Amino acid sequence: MTQARGRTVRPYLRRIGARALAGVGVLFGAATLGFLALYVLPGDPVYAIAGNPDQVSLSAEQVAAIRETYGFDQPLYQQYLEYLGQLVRGDLGTSYQRQQPVTTLIADQLGPTVQLAAAAFATTLVLAFAVSLLTAKRRFGRGVSSVVELFFISAPGFWVGIVLLTVFSFRLGWLPAIGSGGWQTLVLPALTIAVGAAPPLIQVLRNGLEDTLDEPFVLTARTRGLSEAAVRLRHALRHALIPLTTLTGFLVGGLLGGAVIAETLFSRQGVGRVLVTAVTANDVPLVLGLVLLAALAYVVVNFLVDVVYPLIDPRLRSEVTA
Amino acid sequence: MAALKRAGGVLAGLAIVAAAAACGGSTTPASEQSADAQPVSGGVLKVALNAWEPTKLDPQSQGNSNDPLIFRPIFDTLFWQTEDGELEGLLAESADISDDGLTYTFHLRDGVTFHDGAEWTAEGLKLNFEHALDPATQAVLAGSYLAPYQSSEVIDDLTLEVTLSEPYSAFLSVLAQGYLGIISPQQLAEAPETVAENPIGSGPFRFVSWTKGEKIVYERYDDYDWAPESGATHTGPAYLDGLEINFIAEDSVRYNALVAGDVDLIDWTPPQNAQSVRDSENLEFVKFDRPGHPYALWLNESNPPLDDVLVRKGVFAALDREAIVETVSFGEWEVADGFLVPSTPAYVENTNAEFAYDVDQANEFLDEAGWTERDAEGYRVRDGRRLSLYFPTLGDVTQANQIVELAQSQLKAVGVEVVIEVLSDDQQQQIVADGGHHLSAGIWTTNTADVLFIKYHSSEITTPERRGTNQTFTADAELDQLISQGRSTTDTEERAGLYAQAQERLTEIVPSIPLYYRPSLVSYHDYVHDIAFDRAYGNLWFYNTWKDATG
Repeated sequence: MTQARGRTVRPYLRRIGARALAGVGVLFGAATLGFLALYVLPGDPVYAIAGNPDQVSLSAEQVAAIRETYGFDQPLYQQYLEYLGQLVRGDLGTSYQRQQPVTTLIADQLGPTVQLAAAAFATTLVLAFAVSLLTAKRRFGRGVSSVVELFFISAPGFWVGIVLLTVFSFRLGWLPAIGSGGWQTLVLPALTIAVGAAPPLIQVLRNGLEDTLDEPFVLTARTRGLSEAAVRLRHALRHALIPLTTLTGFLVGGLLGGAVIAETLFSRQGVGRVLVTAVTANDVPLVLGLVLLAALAYVVVNFLVDVVYPLIDPRLRSEVTA
Repeated sequence: MAALKRAGGVLAGLAIVAAAAACGGSTTPASEQSADAQPVSGGVLKVALNAWEPTKLDPQSQGNSNDPLIFRPIFDTLFWQTEDGELEGLLAESADISDDGLTYTFHLRDGVTFHDGAEWTAEGLKLNFEHALDPATQAVLAGSYLAPYQSSEVIDDLTLEVTLSEPYSAFLSVLAQGYLGIISPQQLAEAPETVAENPIGSGPFRFVSWTKGEKIVYERYDDYDWAPESGATHTGPAYLDGLEINFIAEDSVRYNALVAGDVDLIDWTPPQNAQSVRDSENLEFVKFDRPGHPYALWLNESNPPLDDVLVRKGVFAALDREAIVETVSFGEWEVADGFLVPSTPAYVENTNAEFAYDVDQANEFLDEAGWTERDAEGYRVRDGRRLSLYFPTLGDVTQANQIVELAQSQLKAVGVEVVIEVLSDDQQQQIVADGGHHLSAGIWTTNTADVLFIKYHSSEITTPERRGTNQTFTADAELDQLISQGRSTTDTEERAGLYAQAQERLTEIVPSIPLYYRPSLVSYHDYVHDIAFDRAYGNLWFYNTWKDATG
């Protein structure tokens, strides 16, 4: 046993190292593609800085000062190299519209979004586990649940949010409609995201459970007199976790998209709302900063998924050695 | 006590500009309802606006419609505009204008203290002018309003002499707008970059916090004692303990947040909900016009076929503006009848019959312009080219989208195609700046008829060096002369005459299609009393406002 473990650990570490390197590559790619995409788009950045006020007028001196401050008078490759240089030093530049360092702006807004994402993630998982464990291999429950899941997959998040707001906030008055202080303000936005994110997870988890429940070892367990609940929780669930872990990586991306909707609808501060205004205003440094943040979140989560796989599934460990 | 006496001693602040303003069209706020009730201090007023949040809290750097409302609590201006369109002293007591219109001597109010304890002096005013004109401030609007400013000289502690590069009759009026809020001289001298996040002024409320994407919080400034005499119902500090201004992007959420009591008052009431607010037992509704240029479709004269005045007239006559405005506003907005909002000084009623909706007339104009053939889809054709108009738009305001689509279908009826493309802010602005479009839409709110110079003078056309405001690319020698003279004439009567002629000329050259006045649509709970407006911009003003015990 000890010997086998010693043989598997080193390739495991090598694999993790390679994954980490790939992650850095992904970030570099995201920065480069994002830079090119945003700079190649038509539109004079001077107008992006002026934003979209109703009433704008800029004098020649003001226009010249803007071009100089942001280096728009330099060739593109030079702007790109400067941008990469800044990135390496952890400097994401200055927002066109708010004239604040992008790192400060994101750091200020990250907390509320992380709270929201965490709450939505937890709610999604609870929903996924509860529904799939209750409905797997149960004809009636499965049928009802499938219809409901299909409905929430196709219902726009925005609409779901409006319905939740109308019922729980405007009609019943149980929860606040706007703002981001206290746990009460988290409930409806998190639920809005979770009911959209949970159905694919439920389906994957349930399929996993159903496959496992057909396995001979489950029959063995049942003949040993284990209760249905114990069979599902102790045996089947562990097997079904593997595809779920993979999906979790995708889920994180969905959470950011969900945050954009939830933060706008519930008038919450957060990076989702910043993203919307930054994109419409073409605030290049801020959009790039947020693109990198999203890429970083993906890389970290997928890295963690890779680390966790062999721990959940011992088969993967031996595959690595082979 | 001394402070109280001083406030009483200021006689009805000097009226400097005798602008003969007709204030028709705007509804008087429903403050009478509370005439018998006694105002009480206390409570925080929770307000909700749409998503147009400032990018920085430096008033001089901003240019959006919500900004004067947002900044007025924190910042006083030099002047205050009275109900009859005159200016009364606020941070300035008066100003003398030299005969050539080039030198303005400002006499400042004594005894004003800013939220940080700074004293109000002539040096402070000088710093404010210089801050607005510093390119680093990126004053997208205030900078252009002060463009003729050349230099200033401190005469004594409370007297500043300002020299302009050219006579500029709108100068004092624009100084009454919230965009030209006066910032603490101490802050400007020591750390002007901090204004963006921590604004310090001398207004009735001080800044507390800004949760970006959510709200701005204010608290009462207890030493406040220089409220504008004609606008205020009382003296001394404001009644409310504080203000909270929320930004709620979704129309239905904003309206329902009011009904559910999450907020006390909303601006930008969705027009479709205005009637239910009126019908409600515990909600009140009031609307208020903003002065300046009505919301309009701008016709780009530099881009054929709109270079032909017959085509412009044809497009104008083809639009059923009544139906458009009625549809998008659910009957809440009035159709504009000219190139100025009635509450703007020098407004004249437009009587030109050509402005009526008349499809036959529209067809005649377009036929006369030579667009007589039709293609398979029914659009007009001349020399093998379709009569097609390009409309790049932002698609961020529901009503604007509806207008574009209604105009599209009405123009199709006379054989004119409209191609709509939804773009990002800077793409749209770039196209409009380059003149690659035919149609764009917008409004310009300001308290002087000089708005005609801003929108239609040939010197305001965008060049590679600067961003101008003339989106129609109008370059008409006769009009140029009238609005230039209007800008430089110090005589009020003469100026009104010039602007009347300018408006007449506009009906001949048709550079735009005025649609409506876009009033503030304000709804609030009946426990909120004495809603008031700052007439220099037509924005809400909370100094008089109070909440009774039922709130």
